Amino acid sequence: MGFEFQFGVMWEALPELLKGAQLTIGIAFVGLLIGFFLGAAAGLAKTSRITILRRIAILYIETIRGTPIMVQVMFIYFGLPLLLGMRVDPFFAATSSIAINAGAYIAEIVRGAIESIENGQTEAGRSIGLTHMQNLLYVVWPQAFRRMLPPLGNQFIISVKDTALFVVIGIGELTRTGQEIIAVNFRAFEVWLAVGLVYLAITLTLSKLLSIAEKRMELT
Amino acid sequence: MTASKPILADNLKQDRNPADHSESSTKARPATPATEVIVKIRNVYKYFGDLEVIKGVDLDVSVGEVVVIIGASGSGKSTLLRCINKLEDVTSGELVFDGLDLNDTKVDVNYVRTEVGMVFQHFNLFPHMTVLENVTLGPRKVRNIPAPEASKLGRELLEKVGLSDKADTYPGKLSGGQKQRVAIARSLALSPKVMLFDEPTSALDPELVGEVLMVMKQLAIEGMTMIVVTHEMGFAKEVADRVIFIDKGLIEEQGSPQQIFENPQSQRTRDFLSKVKTF
Ligand SMILES: Nc1ncnc2c1ncn2[C@@H]1O[C@H](COP(=O)(O)OP(=O)(O)OP(=O)(O)O)[C@@H](O)[C@H]1O
Ligand SMILES: [Mg+2]
Repeated sequence: MGFEFQFGVMWEALPELLKGAQLTIGIAFVGLLIGFFLGAAAGLAKTSRITILRRIAILYIETIRGTPIMVQVMFIYFGLPLLLGMRVDPFFAATSSIAINAGAYIAEIVRGAIESIENGQTEAGRSIGLTHMQNLLYVVWPQAFRRMLPPLGNQFIISVKDTALFVVIGIGELTRTGQEIIAVNFRAFEVWLAVGLVYLAITLTLSKLLSIAEKRMELT
Repeated sequence: MTASKPILADNLKQDRNPADHSESSTKARPATPATEVIVKIRNVYKYFGDLEVIKGVDLDVSVGEVVVIIGASGSGKSTLLRCINKLEDVTSGELVFDGLDLNDTKVDVNYVRTEVGMVFQHFNLFPHMTVLENVTLGPRKVRNIPAPEASKLGRELLEKVGLSDKADTYPGKLSGGQKQRVAIARSLALSPKVMLFDEPTSALDPELVGEVLMVMKQLAIEGMTMIVVTHEMGFAKEVADRVIFIDKGLIEEQGSPQQIFENPQSQRTRDFLSKVKTF
């Protein structure tokens, strides 16, 4: 019995998959939004002159980068409830895993971008009387932000794909949806192909949006 | 309404500096500078780790005076200048600006920096801001001047440095000479009492040096107190009230341009001048 590709299967699976994709995008969006602020805070803390802030940032970054995201999400979803004595919502577990995980990588992106701004820029800011905070806000951050965009885009795409790992907590995102469809129709080839294409559509759209943002910032 | 316009800039100055409004006016001052000392440096030493860069410098700069500092590379000229606006801290010795002891931790460093303008060799303009935004950043954020008034002040200063037409341009589109003139305007926007120039023309193509020196000369004529590190001996000769030759972290010799260039007393000064003499 030879394999026969059935395009119709992909088509039939699409509405379900798009629903799963919505959740994937939701997790990634909320997670990255929080992750960006977390990462910016940790990145700034790592460049701080205050030792304790630097230490906390390093501890956070190294812990998260040194452990798999799958372990992180299982810890939050299965481990934390034992401590808290209450169930953890799967969406919360998923978004907070993305936030915490992406935050650690974004922290390094932020730190690198800030440190790449020439000393002369802050010196010029200081010599017109800007405070440390004003210098960061008006002189360093806007320039650093432009340099962050390409690596940030990279991290965003990685995080979108990382949400697939959340099948382990049973949240109905795109990959989980694909699994469920296959459990019914046994069409692994078509369904995984369709799942892959939906991920690709998401990540390519994201890349496009980011490159538009980059162009915009270059002009000014 | 129209009548209030010309007064606006004066008002700003008055708000910022009620005490010395007359001093910050753009009228030319007498050729002989007042004897009021605004920068007082006493027995200043500066180390970077074990490296002794400034080795006991004494220097008084009077209001309205133009001091040109010359000396070989690595002799500590930049370091001395940077101590005056606290980009570096002195290791020991006394540094007083306008009556404020800069070693006193109670002195507001940011305030001192608004009163001491600094122009850098590499301009250090903010590349993400237009020329006008570069010039008005200090007035807006440090002086809290409302944007429209800051813009007006900014445009006046750009006109002064001959760049009215570049207000909305980004620095990346300017020549080196234009960049440096913007940098001067950016410093002037805070009406500093002293302007420091660290080799302002060294990074420029030769044909662009003149336009920057012209602006600096104009400032000198208007009575700005200036401390200028430069290799432009022509400028020193023409504009300086006093020329200071720094050698290995010490003031080796100082005097009027005539004394230094025509009749240097020290052998080291003569050696240095013979190497750079191109005018
Ligand atoms: N931040 C620093 N850390 C360590 N050493 C420094 C630092 N800044 C300057 N130096 C050293 O101090 C010495 C004097 O430097 P400075 O820049 O003041 O010289 P300069 O007279 O301005 O020279 P140039 O004409 O080349 O600009 C040099 O040996 C330099 O390497
Ligand atoms: Mg120097």
